[in-house]
Amino acid sequence: MKFAYYPGCSARSTCAELNEATHLVATKLGLELVQLESATCTGARELRAIDPVGFYTLNVRILALAESHGLPLMTICNTCTLNVLDAHSAFMADPELAQSINVRLAEEGLHYSGDTRISHFLWVLHEDIGEQRLRALVVNPLTDLTVGAFYGCHITRPPTQYGFVDSRNNSALEKLAEILGCKPIDYTGRNECCGFHTAAHDEKVAIKLTGQHILSAKTGGAQAMVTPCPLCHTVLDGFQREIEKDLGRKLDMPVLHLPQLVGLALGLSPEELKIDHHMVSAASLNTYAAHGHSRAGR
Amino acid sequence: MTLTPATDQMDARRLGQIENHDSLAARNTRLAPGDNVTVRIRRSSGSEGGSAYQDFDVPYQKWMRVLDALNWIAENRATDLAYRWFCGSKMCGTCAVRMNGREVLACWEAVEPAMTIEPLRNLPVIRDLVVDRTRYEDKVASLEPWLERPSPYTGFPEPLNHKQMKDASKALDCISCMCCYSACPVVGLGALTDFAGPAPLVQLAQTALDPRNDPEKLRRSLALTDIFNCVSCYKCEEVCPAHIPIVSRIIEPLKAKTAQLVPGMAKHSFALRDIVAARGRVDPGALVLRVQGLRALANMSRVVRLLMRGKINPLKTFLKIKTAAAEAAGRILLGNRTK
Repeated sequence: MKFAYYPGCSARSTCAELNEATHLVATKLGLELVQLESATCTGARELRAIDPVGFYTLNVRILALAESHGLPLMTICNTCTLNVLDAHSAFMADPELAQSINVRLAEEGLHYSGDTRISHFLWVLHEDIGEQRLRALVVNPLTDLTVGAFYGCHITRPPTQYGFVDSRNNSALEKLAEILGCKPIDYTGRNECCGFHTAAHDEKVAIKLTGQHILSAKTGGAQAMVTPCPLCHTVLDGFQREIEKDLGRKLDMPVLHLPQLVGLALGLSPEELKIDHHMVSAASLNTYAAHGHSRAGR
Repeated sequence: MTLTPATDQMDARRLGQIENHDSLAARNTRLAPGDNVTVRIRRSSGSEGGSAYQDFDVPYQKWMRVLDALNWIAENRATDLAYRWFCGSKMCGTCAVRMNGREVLACWEAVEPAMTIEPLRNLPVIRDLVVDRTRYEDKVASLEPWLERPSPYTGFPEPLNHKQMKDASKALDCISCMCCYSACPVVGLGALTDFAGPAPLVQLAQTALDPRNDPEKLRRSLALTDIFNCVSCYKCEEVCPAHIPIVSRIIEPLKAKTAQLVPGMAKHSFALRDIVAARGRVDPGALVLRVQGLRALANMSRVVRLLMRGKINPLKTFLKIKTAAAEAAGRILLGNRTK
């Protein structure tokens, strides 16, 4: 199974461990990834507000790069996923826009005809790998590990578009955690917003919002949280010290990228998956690893 | 079919839909006439005093809506129950409540076997399920949601087309039910921000996205919205009973107008564009430095922690390496011609 792979900016800077873990896990899963090296940023939420045509062009260019390889596109960031989905949808709906974008792309010999299938890694696991194969590949079931699945917004909303159902009912991440042997917990923050998109200019919204979510996961008994989005991860993990200060209490909640959780269950070590690269120590999860630490004492 | 899943059997985006009875057919067949509906209502005499839950058993009748259950309770069990409704047909926008944690119109939502019904959030409670809408109405009035022409009316027909009015016309579907206002996490943070909230922005958009409106007046209105504190979570869209795409068709176009008319509010957007145009990708260090300036230094302890974990790389921030991505982004965003 072969995918054009778009890691996005976070996974190539502050969350480099996500990119590395994705490559390792993909190999274990038998996924061949062709990384789109010349792909640009999708524009986060900022670009669409000030330059919609530029926003669409950058995103359609990513789809065109995938198309030039004749491959479906796999993303690992929620916001990037929604950006390419939105751009694809605008491209298909507005022939004038589509034509003007293709004129821009022709300058470098690219063309988009609208045929690229867009999928996030979470969806690839369910749809392309499938539960049966995934279960067979789990050599180290993460038995008894209680996880708080944190979806983030942009792979489960906006509602009714792109096949999304009511985000409160989506259980793709919990279902996956179960396949890996974990016990997913139920908590109020699971489909709430981390506030990342206001964090560059003002952190206080992200700190307040995400504080509530980590606290509810903690209260619900989560030993760790897992997220399919590096932007959510940045707030959940990178801002946790500030969140603790704001709440006036310790949280010590390890936060894993989705491929890291999958990797542990597939037998990769915490060191290989760079789980020690997070701001909040995830050493408490080492007992669940297949290598190095004895699992007998649990 | 590019947006459909890889296989017919599995759609990851719909996992959970069946177990949670998330379809009209499932909702309409879960209960049979005579079945018991347990209703738990949060009752209070206002925001000041405490609140308490009261439980009721309601016999299910065919096609029963949340409003029918409330009416049954008011007629048979609690004649003093306070709740609002008028039209009963998704027009007046007065009957919104929270049912099992989500905002719904009582007149449009099928009952569930076990329901907890609460008043909307983010507005003071007057009694039981009735909220005080003054906060919203004051905000809408302060935004001057009307049309002011910068030049005299040219007479009928006006030179307007559908494309120019496509977003404003979506905003006109609003019934002011306050579902979105209750669901918005940023409004829920209260005085932490000055964010106007989705419902007032939809009201503003009805005329602000009309091309005939005076930019000078819009500048005044938009400056009061704190619109860039919208976190783009789409919670408002998810609960809107009028199915208005609030983020993509209201807030995004309003942000675009704000960037145009009050560019100081969109500083971070311009910074991101410039960084992407120069580098192809976002360098987080460069973005924070550019947006926060010296303010970023106040957070020195985090900078040190990020450095220690190898999460930021000052070398990369200060040395711009020319890449194919940077070249493409510069050409697309700034019209740079390198060939």
